[in-house]
Amino acid sequence: MTRSPVKVLYIDDEENNLIAFKASFRRQYEIYTANSAAEGLKVLENLPIEVIIADQKMPQTTGVEFFKSITTTFPDPVRILLTGYTDISALADAINHGDIYRYITKPWNDLELHNSIKNAHDAYRSKIDLRNKIKELEKTNDELNRFIYSISHELRAPLVSVIGIVNLVKMEGLYHSSGEYWELIESCSSKLDYYIQKTLQYYKNNKNVTDKSEIDFKQLVDEIIELYAYSYKDTTFNININQAQKFIGDSFRIEVILGNLISNAIKYQKTSNKEKTVEISIEVNKFSAEILIKDNGLGILNEHLEKIFTQFFKSKNNQGSGLGLFIVKEALNKINGKISVSSDLDYGTTFKITIPNAT
Amino acid sequence: MVPLSKLLFQMPLKLKRPIRVMLIDDNTIDLKINSKIIGITKLFDDIILCQSGEEAIAYFLANEKERERLPHLILLDIQMPEMDGFEFLDNYKLLPEELKDNTRIAMLSSTLDFGDIRRAEANPYVIKLLKKPLYPAQLQAVFTSCFIIKE
Repeated sequence: MTRSPVKVLYIDDEENNLIAFKASFRRQYEIYTANSAAEGLKVLENLPIEVIIADQKMPQTTGVEFFKSITTTFPDPVRILLTGYTDISALADAINHGDIYRYITKPWNDLELHNSIKNAHDAYRSKIDLRNKIKELEKTNDELNRFIYSISHELRAPLVSVIGIVNLVKMEGLYHSSGEYWELIESCSSKLDYYIQKTLQYYKNNKNVTDKSEIDFKQLVDEIIELYAYSYKDTTFNININQAQKFIGDSFRIEVILGNLISNAIKYQKTSNKEKTVEISIEVNKFSAEILIKDNGLGILNEHLEKIFTQFFKSKNNQGSGLGLFIVKEALNKINGKISVSSDLDYGTTFKITIPNAT
Repeated sequence: MVPLSKLLFQMPLKLKRPIRVMLIDDNTIDLKINSKIIGITKLFDDIILCQSGEEAIAYFLANEKERERLPHLILLDIQMPEMDGFEFLDNYKLLPEELKDNTRIAMLSSTLDFGDIRRAEANPYVIKLLKKPLYPAQLQAVFTSCFIIKE
């Protein structure tokens, strides 16, 4: 692709300089000239100028004054200041307020000026490219947001209807009327729903917004247990929450972390275990919340311990999605939390978490 | 702080049977499923089905003179074409006060969107956001918190 030549505006009150500039550069650039700041402004208003060169010493408006006057109206063109004498204060002013890219002394050296214009134009291009890229990204991000919103509605709504129908089948005593088919439909739908929910959690966690709200751990843990213990009525919970301090943190991420860990502790149990217990203790102090979640369930193989936080890692024996602990780890990363795990196969697993208190 | 209006619209109602519930949902399958669930709970004597917010508002206006036909509880879906659940609430707000005196509203949706959940919690008319699928126990809890039945 050949680009049209760079559009350069040169403002100088000395006619001879304008002529000399045109003579030297007309082959390389598309040149517009003006003999005063006011004339220069007219050109700017009508043409997409990319590089502006202005002489400092002009009657009425100086080069720096001109550059200052257009910082908000024409922020994009890159500016080069020409001056015949070394005026330190004008120079400082130019750099500080006029957003000047280069400063060149008169009489100019053709090669130096040419290089400056070339570099100035590169700077102009990258500024514009960056802005376009940002616009594009904002658009993509916006589309992604809407896509996620529609997944959570359009994809999940009919699935939830299916789960509702299976519930009705149960309530009407028809669950065992077709062999195990209803049971299979139920297990497939709840698995799919689980994936949708985890995907949304992962996506929301990836966004960089962190909220700071007050967290009542007792209430949060109660809600989570009510939610997940619903279909596991035979689990005993030993809850010990010591929160005398106010705790400020990211409520969505903390809920995701505790939700995933507590539901794992409930789910991964041995069917033979007569005393299924989950122990949750939380200590809140000025600096952090120290959380311990301990179960007496299946436990984790030693060689798997390092891999459980990686995406899509599943052990052969369990019906996991390979997402839960990965999301826990990601969410903890976002809020500067820490996690450690210890486990004995067949005796249970303990997770220890530290979440900083933002008070 | 809970705003006063929220407290006002959430006070339990003293009612005599028959008690009516209105379902607003564009999805006919969900209307069917939730009618069945409501039937199983035996909490309500009559079910009014509306396939859109517009239809529900029209029902209120049409029964201005026969208030005994108005619902005591509305179960309101969020995602609906044209008038969604929140727009319904905006329109409902404009109805004459005396038509709303004996009605409580719960939202019933499969949404997981935080924005939706916050908006539902913030709306003074909404006593609870119920999650689909609806379970009889949840409906029972809403019923108990909303109504005191006079024999």
